Amino acid sequence: MSTLPDVRLTLPARPEGVAVVRQALAGMADALAFDAAVVADMKMAISEACTNVVVHAYDEEDGVLEVEMSADETGLTIRVRDHGSGIRPRGERRGEAPALGLGLPLIAALSDSYELTGTAGRGTEVKMKFVYVREGDPVEENPVPGTVGDDGRWDPDASRGTPAS
Amino acid sequence: MVSAESRAGILPLHMDANPIVLDDAAGDVVVVVVEGEHDIYTAPTLRERLDEAIGRGGGIVVDLTGATFVDSSVLGALLDARRRALEAGQGFVVCVGAAVEPGVQRILDITGLVPVLPVVNGRDAAIETARSGNGAGG
Repeated sequence: MSTLPDVRLTLPARPEGVAVVRQALAGMADALAFDAAVVADMKMAISEACTNVVVHAYDEEDGVLEVEMSADETGLTIRVRDHGSGIRPRGERRGEAPALGLGLPLIAALSDSYELTGTAGRGTEVKMKFVYVREGDPVEENPVPGTVGDDGRWDPDASRGTPAS
Repeated sequence: MVSAESRAGILPLHMDANPIVLDDAAGDVVVVVVEGEHDIYTAPTLRERLDEAIGRGGGIVVDLTGATFVDSSVLGALLDARRRALEAGQGFVVCVGAAVEPGVQRILDITGLVPVLPVVNGRDAAIETARSGNGAGG
């Protein structure tokens, strides 16, 4: 395990790149001692992090999506980075459909720990850690808030009560 | 350190491995069959297929039985389609198979969308529910 190399990917920040990153992660995780459920959580979290870069990081020109994966004796650390204008929640770009704003809540729920760093104009980095041995389901510590409101749209502030009759 | 530069824009991405097709064998309910991995790259295609399904005027079933991964871009497309279908009085139901891939089940579970969309087991049950116009009219 200690001989496993760090992996760094640099791609254009475009939608078609997200699946490439997911496949690279799957390959890396295959070589490590992760449960299938944790690998599934990693793939979801890294997809959401990359999607945030593709959708939110850059205004006009094609920017760069950087991903680093680094294993140690406790687990796998993943960094997803851009050099864009900083996170602008739920921004729209190039006429794409507005996002639900679920990216960061999903990353928080699925990773064993995560950290968001960056400032406007200097890019953003999401660092996520996934451990080999989980003490519990991270979703229980960071549940995804929100549900679909009466208007049929996702409402991150709505609470999930019993379904309306 | 291993560095890899990937020119994702020209990679031969295997769209055929992730098909989204309409099945209208059920007559008044059209089934949108989603297979493989789906994310922000294929979400526009999913939206097109859902638009086409809604345009046919009957109930809509989205069958995720063959899907192996869906992200929040896909959930966004499903919720938009659901809202429009219900506003038009058309049933809208998502179905999965007996064994659901973790890359599909997990996001449905933690977003609480199973009862909302709703997600049911099996295409036949979903078609019956969509035919009855679930949710239409409140």
